[in-house]
Amino acid sequence: MGRYLLRRLGFALLLVLVVSSASLLLTRLAPGDITSEQALVLDPASLAKLRTELGLDRPLAVQYASWLAGVVRLDFGRSLLYSRPVSTLIGERALNTAMLASVALVLATVIGLPLGVYSGSRSRGVGRASVRVLSVLALSVPPLIGSLGLVFLAARTGWLPVGGMTSAAGIDQTWAQWLVDLARHLPIPALALALPLAATLERLQSQAIEKATREPFVAASRARGLGHAQALIRHAWPVSLRSVLGLYGIMIGSLFSGSFVVEVITSWPGLGRLMYDALKARDLYLVAGCAASGAFFLAAGTWLADVLLAFADPRVRSQEAR
Amino acid sequence: MNRQPRALLSVLLLGLIAFTGWRWWSGQQPPADSGTEIVFSDVTTRGGVLTSSLRSEPRSFNRWVERNFPTEFTSQLTQSTLIRINRATQEIEPALAESWIASPDNRTFTLTLREAAWSDGAPFTSADVLFTFQAIYDPKVNSILAGSLKVNGQPLTVTAPDARTVVIGYPGVFGPGIALLDNLTLAPKHKLEAALAAGTFSQAWGVASPVNEMVSLGPFVLSRYEPGQRLVFDRNPRYWKKDSAGVALPYLDQIVAEVVPDQNAELVRLQAGQIDMLQQQVRPEDIATLRPLVDQGKLQLLELGVGTDPDVFFFNLRQPYWAKDPRGGWITRREFRQAISHAVDRESFANTVYLGAGVPIWGPITPGNQKWFSPNVPRYAFSLERAKALLAGLGLANRDADEWLEDDKGTEARFTVLTYRGNSSLERSAAVLRDDLRPLGIAVDVVALEQGALVERMLKGDFESIFFVYSASALDPGMSPDLWLSSGSAHIWNIGQATPATEWEKQIDDLMRQMMSSVDQAERKRLFDQVQNIFAENLPALYFVAPRMYIGVSSRVGSLTPAILRPQLLWAADRITVRSPGTGQGGR
Repeated sequence: MGRYLLRRLGFALLLVLVVSSASLLLTRLAPGDITSEQALVLDPASLAKLRTELGLDRPLAVQYASWLAGVVRLDFGRSLLYSRPVSTLIGERALNTAMLASVALVLATVIGLPLGVYSGSRSRGVGRASVRVLSVLALSVPPLIGSLGLVFLAARTGWLPVGGMTSAAGIDQTWAQWLVDLARHLPIPALALALPLAATLERLQSQAIEKATREPFVAASRARGLGHAQALIRHAWPVSLRSVLGLYGIMIGSLFSGSFVVEVITSWPGLGRLMYDALKARDLYLVAGCAASGAFFLAAGTWLADVLLAFADPRVRSQEAR
Repeated sequence: MNRQPRALLSVLLLGLIAFTGWRWWSGQQPPADSGTEIVFSDVTTRGGVLTSSLRSEPRSFNRWVERNFPTEFTSQLTQSTLIRINRATQEIEPALAESWIASPDNRTFTLTLREAAWSDGAPFTSADVLFTFQAIYDPKVNSILAGSLKVNGQPLTVTAPDARTVVIGYPGVFGPGIALLDNLTLAPKHKLEAALAAGTFSQAWGVASPVNEMVSLGPFVLSRYEPGQRLVFDRNPRYWKKDSAGVALPYLDQIVAEVVPDQNAELVRLQAGQIDMLQQQVRPEDIATLRPLVDQGKLQLLELGVGTDPDVFFFNLRQPYWAKDPRGGWITRREFRQAISHAVDRESFANTVYLGAGVPIWGPITPGNQKWFSPNVPRYAFSLERAKALLAGLGLANRDADEWLEDDKGTEARFTVLTYRGNSSLERSAAVLRDDLRPLGIAVDVVALEQGALVERMLKGDFESIFFVYSASALDPGMSPDLWLSSGSAHIWNIGQATPATEWEKQIDDLMRQMMSSVDQAERKRLFDQVQNIFAENLPALYFVAPRMYIGVSSRVGSLTPAILRPQLLWAADRITVRSPGTGQGGR
């Protein structure tokens, strides 16, 4: 198991390096840079001076080598957009994204998995058909429309704040008040993220459990006198989790690296929005930093899913032991 | 029962549940409180919180080096100038200079400063004015204001005989005169002197700086910045301005600017009453959405007038670009551009792109710029016959079986238009142009690019044509020489010419220099009318429609003085009032 974990860690580091390097190089190679916006205001000499100050006049290889040297020391450079260390900016936003992602993940799990088990274990019925219709609906609505729909619903009812992470009075509140305030702001972006994921989980879980219930050992357990529900939960479900947990890693990675659509629409100050702003402004160091954090979360999510899978499926444990 | 009828039944059941829920929910909504018309005089009360939206975050609070709207917005609320141009009347008003005297040759202005203090209690004196000029002209600072505070490329000279007097000398007579100082955001010497001396002025007042470092001379002080969320501005208790009754301004206790990056979400929040005003004009397609709230008296939809920065279409007029291109013989000709101008039905353009909320225009100065607009510039009536005749005069005719024209060498009449990706009015405009030129036999390929890539291509001169929006910083064209002069960095169709490439550009250069060095307003207008005529005859850039601009604001906000330039309402934030409830967070 130890060697396995080390191998995964090495893979994660390589992934972070490759993704962030590619992001930096592609952003640098694309036409235009962060000074393009000032181009019609500054005279050519001042513009050239600004590019020199920002280090944009250096050859690509020099720029990349200097950035890479910093990355080795865990220094991702300074954001050209905000004149602040990239790691500080990412740290601030990653916490916000992590809060949102955790809630969305829990929601997606508690909605998607039970519904998947329910619909997969029934061969017919209005309930199964309704779950399928709702899942297909949730999957077919693009995140932009889904987020806007939820924002509109919140605005129309007035039950929840339409956007933001806290209200303007946030800083003057006690911790308890702040938490309540945060809890009121979380449902809209969390649901916007969670609903399509819950639908994906439901579909996957449904198919997996349908397949697992046809396995001989499930039939054998029924023959030994176990009830339908018990056979389903004790034997079919753990096996069906193998394909579901495979997706979990990717889900965790994408959730924790931030969804710019949901974060932009619901004004959630997370990593996705930071990446979006960095891309728009061509802030290459910030783009590379955000991409690195996304890759890191993806690797971490995949690793976590592998560990969970090992716990859930005895066959995986035995394979690793061999 | 087989599976299909069951699935159908499920869908019907779900639909029924959704419909019932919707009916119940609609019934829960409070009826519109009709008849509650807000009269501005009833809401002029002191105190309260105004909540505005802001589409993006500031990159810095240093107005002297950063040019983006959030930075300008913050500066507008927290800083002050010696004089200011009233955004509504376009007249010069005293600000921290309570009076001034111009020398007989109009090259020297002696300003008397009013007694005022920074928000931390430090007195405002002429030393701050001298320091501001010193910082702006310091090459190490690379200030974005330096260019706009020069006359004929030369800096102004500034002396301070005493703490309340400043003498500003111009290197030559300058038409806009003291209006130039509207650009001069004053810097606090006692806070930024050390940074200037250390060569770190351009890094000062970054977004990570403590907010109490950023002292204010304006109506508000920045009291809180929550990255990604909001900026909070509190009343500056030391603000120098009072109203006519002697009441200290501003009236508001606080302005909260919520960062809402998405325009649709911003609109929803305005509808929900969670913000009081927008900082962007309402899109034409959103006006119908807001109309019911206006009818219920919950929202004001203020028409600001005709926009002053219309979208512009232009060809690359750098001759070297076309040297090896067979199309160069006709694509850079004035008649080709005139034909295009004739081929565009501007009324239909306004209806398609701005849903009717636009007016036809024939030059860069729109009716929204009342002082400088000339209604007598040559106009190009919609006429496909006239357009075809002009193209025939260039040797363009349909010489084969397809629908496109060709020149005598068989080169197809086709060009590429670059435009901004994501700017809906520009993308629609480019599409309308393509459709309007098709009946003429001209093929247009529209390519939408990301903003940085487009500007890069424009600066390098690597484009055939561009549909673009250029925002001039001032309404007085004498303060935008970069656009008008052939040597200018914003002379977009042929940037930074060493000598004028054409005779008509030389004429415009001469007229603009005369206009910029004249102090006789009537003469300046006469000269600029000539510039507009030459421009409209030669059409280096084509203008089709200027949008009518609207801004949405809650009915609880009063004492507004709308203006066409941004920030359209908060430029006079010190006089704005709100009706209770005390914050903009209450729902409708």
